[in-house]
Amino acid sequence: MTAIAPETADAGSPLPQARLGDHDAFAQIIERHEAMVYSMAYHFFNDRGRAEEIAQDVFLQLYRNLGAIESDAHLLFWLRQVTTRRCIDLTRRARLKAVRLEDVGELRAAEKRSDALLDRRLRALIEELPDIQRAVVTLRYQEDLDPSEICRIVDLPVNTVKSHLHRALQSLRRRLGEHR
Amino acid sequence: MNLENDLKRALRRESPPAGFAGRVLEQAKSGAAGSQPAGSRRRAESSPFHWWRAAAASVMLAAVLGGYALHEVAERRRGERAREQVLRAMSIASEKVRYAQQQVREIGSH
Repeated sequence: MTAIAPETADAGSPLPQARLGDHDAFAQIIERHEAMVYSMAYHFFNDRGRAEEIAQDVFLQLYRNLGAIESDAHLLFWLRQVTTRRCIDLTRRARLKAVRLEDVGELRAAEKRSDALLDRRLRALIEELPDIQRAVVTLRYQEDLDPSEICRIVDLPVNTVKSHLHRALQSLRRRLGEHR
Repeated sequence: MNLENDLKRALRRESPPAGFAGRVLEQAKSGAAGSQPAGSRRRAESSPFHWWRAAAASVMLAAVLGGYALHEVAERRRGERAREQVLRAMSIASEKVRYAQQQVREIGSH
């Protein structure tokens, strides 16, 4: 795992208390980061049920490893890295594609708006990308990270990350054109 | 169309279903020792409960080692007894041989 320079926790950060076993402080950490972790998994798999399971696993793993988290910046990095790795590992282990019924209903309602329809198409196309490209696109456009930050999370050279990003965008542009 | 802007919109963060944090916390609380935070695990390791477990393990180990030592002593005694029996049997046999030789010599001298 790439090292993060030790920093002290931000003032008012629940991290020090959570490390001492304070459950309320740990709940605050979950509430601060749940949307990030859940969305990363959701955008990777395009499956809300699976996203919730992955997010739960990531936070339980965090609970077991709180002692190793040095700062709030390290916590953010750790959550992004562990979520990305878990998503890639799960894809490699079982290439399953599941669409939950409630997602279908939600999507049908959303299709009433053209932006929502395009969003749905984009998420479906992202789901078809190779796993590393999916991870890079999610980190770039959901988390707004630049390639130099992404390369530390996925543990690849920055030029490789740029190349994956370029290929992913090319593929998305081509496939979006095909769908029109 | 600006694909990058569309991707940012399509991949905006969403919240998990309501009660997510509570469910994770329940699982963390109900989990076994393996799901305790590292800090509290270190405290648990130095608690008196673990001293009792260490003491019980020491007593068990002492009992096993003591039993082994007693078994060794009994085995050694059994071996010594068998050796004594063999030596006595050899001594009796050699005495009988000596007696037989003496008898033969006496018969020869007549």
